Amino acid sequence: MKIASRTARPSAAFFLAAALTIIWSGAAWGKSTPIDDSGTQALEPALSLRWQSPRPSRSGGDNLMVGTTTIRVRVNVLPWIRRSGRIYLVLPAQPPGPVSASWVTQGRFMPGQVRSGNRVLVYAGPITTPFMEDVFKFQFSVDGNLVQRAFPLTYRFEMDEG
Amino acid sequence: MSGSAAAYTLTLAPASPKTLYLQVGVGSFTANYNAGGQPGNNTTVNKVSATVAASAVGNGTPQAMSTDSTAAKSFLDGYAYCSVPGQLYIGGFYRTAGGTTAAAQVTATVPTALTNATGDTIPFSKIQWTSSGNGDSGAEPFPAGTFVNGGVQNVGAMASNTWNESCWTFSYLNNTVPPAGTFTGVVRYTMSSP
Repeated sequence: MKIASRTARPSAAFFLAAALTIIWSGAAWGKSTPIDDSGTQALEPALSLRWQSPRPSRSGGDNLMVGTTTIRVRVNVLPWIRRSGRIYLVLPAQPPGPVSASWVTQGRFMPGQVRSGNRVLVYAGPITTPFMEDVFKFQFSVDGNLVQRAFPLTYRFEMDEG
Repeated sequence: MSGSAAAYTLTLAPASPKTLYLQVGVGSFTANYNAGGQPGNNTTVNKVSATVAASAVGNGTPQAMSTDSTAAKSFLDGYAYCSVPGQLYIGGFYRTAGGTTAAAQVTATVPTALTNATGDTIPFSKIQWTSSGNGDSGAEPFPAGTFVNGGVQNVGAMASNTWNESCWTFSYLNNTVPPAGTFTGVVRYTMSSP
């Protein structure tokens, strides 16, 4: 009886521990929280799209328009201070259609690229200050056939805590 | 805690998206497309001419015309598209954003007649052209035709965001007997976008 009792107890403890681990992971990594970036400022007044290639091809199809702009990004990460987190740049799918963005930074955040409808990691690590700042030099590209007129393009940052 | 979460919104605006380039005869590019060339302005007016021997005047045999244009290669990629001096290059593109489906039109403004120094005339309709291009198949964007006797006539169209080009081979119909002399006239080509 003693031997049987000793083997039963560790088994119950194992399953309990495993269940708790799964629940903890889901709560921490499954939640993405938009980050307040109201301190962000554009360093250039407008973003003008120009043909990537001034001339089309015989068969058409070379219709990419590109534009660059510089933005001083300032995100408020106070809610996550003294914790670790992963910050993503999110470019939602939006009219007039697929848009690609690429950027370089001054080092606080990571350079990268993303296509609308996706997000990409720009920071992973400890949050040590209430605000994080960097200068992003963006290049956006879009099919010129989709661009009838000026259009708004929205992106955001979000935090995965962990 | 932070204030309200936000998203940043930019405004992307097409800048000078519409570009037209038409080249009849010689043209100007800083380099071929493949090398990142840019179009330029070229004010040269090329000549297409034929000299009819006295014994052949008015015999009904079309006389091939030749050009002083040296434009044989396409500025798109340097491809040897036309054969000079027998052919005159015509080509270009219409660049516009927004997926415009209407084509840009190319027209010729034609005088009533070619004239000589004493005022004699040959109707412009005595000049016609065929259209082709090395390696081409299918319809030409600038098809064969015959000049009108004065007026504006359509000589081709360019779909947006494509490169269009043809090589024209001109001939004088030579089915009338005009007075002797050198007859000249200037045709002006114009490209108009929607």
